[in-house]
This record gives sequence, structure tokens and C-alpha cells, in this order.
Amino acid sequence: MESNVLYFYALFFAILISASGIIFTPRMYMALISLLCLICFSSLLYLTLNAQYIAIFQLILCGLFLCAYIFILLKKIGRTNLKLKLVSPFKISVSVIVAGVFSALCWLFFKEEFNNSLYDIFNFVIVKSTDVVKFSQHLFPLHIVLLLVFVTAAVLKIFLEKGEQQ
Amino acid sequence: MIEAILNIGLVHYLILVMLLFLTGLLGVLISRNILRTIMSLFSMTISIVISFLTFGFYCDNSLDNANITSIFILTIAVVQAIIALVILYKIYQSNEYLDVEKIKDKEN
Repeated sequence: MESNVLYFYALFFAILISASGIIFTPRMYMALISLLCLICFSSLLYLTLNAQYIAIFQLILCGLFLCAYIFILLKKIGRTNLKLKLVSPFKISVSVIVAGVFSALCWLFFKEEFNNSLYDIFNFVIVKSTDVVKFSQHLFPLHIVLLLVFVTAAVLKIFLEKGEQQ
Repeated sequence: MIEAILNIGLVHYLILVMLLFLTGLLGVLISRNILRTIMSLFSMTISIVISFLTFGFYCDNSLDNANITSIFILTIAVVQAIIALVILYKIYQSNEYLDVEKIKDKEN
């Protein structure tokens, strides 16, 4: 296996683990460390995409300033050891379902629109901008987008109504 | 199948972007602490920056457009996070807690 493949997958899992660390770590300072790790690992990922300036920019602006700012704020309000609190299990299951539906719709959208090849994305843009007649080919993904919008609006409405009732 | 896993390309980066965005979305939905919500929002922003840079790298040889757009996105995200933190501090000063549900209850 080539080293760049290993490097990519190491960064892939490191980024995802640090992103989940922000949500699930038991203490607040650990969440802050996870955020810092996420910023560092994503900066390393930018280097694989030849974006050195963005990597340095993000490390300085977010890694140094934003994390330091959050840390100072936490110190000031004395909440560095704040425990993890999640919403009720019902809301967690609803959120997981929403995220699942969202990911399924994203996947369907990509699969249908780009015909299993995301490299066609710029062809898609060119077709949209030049050929008006063939727009009907893209109607099915458009339905998915509309469905996504309605599902999100419905879920938000249910959440808001529940909040008002409580 | 193994070849598809080993040949790193646009799709792999976009899968990472999607998973990172979903993790951030989940964090925004299930976390009761405002600070964690802000951090999750920031991870969603990072996923968007990665998607811009990926498209810039694979579809545009110059990379200038992607870099400039990413700088704008990052700057705005940081400013937005700092404004949110200032608002959070003000909320904390008046309520003494950072729990979204407690704040909602107090408002009701």
C-alpha cells in the first residue's frame, strides 16, 4: 500500500474521531482539545490538496486564536470541567433518523445526478448552462432536493411545536 | 472494490466531507451545551472548506478560486463563532448556565 493512501486514511479517521470527540467527550476541555485536533488534522489534509496557504491560515486563525479565545472564555466563566449533557433519548433517535435521511438523500442525489461518476460534475454544470431542453433529465434529483427541503421543514416544525407545548 | 479504496480521488474526499458534515449536524441537534453546538457548527464549516478545496484540486488546475473562497469562508466562520461566543457570554452573565433547554424553560 502506498504511503499517501495510508496518510489519507489516517487523516480521514483522525478527522472523524476528533469531530465526534467534540460531541461525545465527557468534559468541556476535552471537547476543546478535540476541536484543536480537528483543526490540525484538517490543515494536514489541505496539504494533500496543495493548499498550503489555507492550511497555515486555518492553523493561525482557528488553531491559535479561536481555540485560545474559547479557552479564555471557559476559564473566565469557570466551565472548563463542565460535564457532557445530551438531549433526551427520544430527541437523539429523531436526530439520528434526520441525519440518516439526509445522508441517504445526499447519496441518492449524487448517484442519480452524476450517474455514479462524480467527475461528471462539471459536465453537469455545462449542460445546465447551455442545454435547456435536456433539463428534464435532471428532474428526478430535483424531486429529491424538494423532498429534503420539505422533510427538514416538517421536522423543524415538529421540534418547534413541541418546544412551545413544553 | 480494493482498487476503488486504494485509488484516492474526488469521491473519497467527498465521502469524508459528507461524514464530517453529518457529524457536525448531529452535534448541533443532540448537544444541550451552546459551546458544543458552536464547535459542531465550526466542524460543518471545515467540511465545506474541504469540499471547495477538493473541487478546486480535482477540477480546476489553478486552485486560486478555491483558495480565495476558502479564505472568505474561514474568516466569516471565525467571526461568526466569535460573535456567537460573545452572545453566549452575555447569556451566561444573565442566566449562569449554558444549557439550551434550561434557557428555553426560563424564557417560557
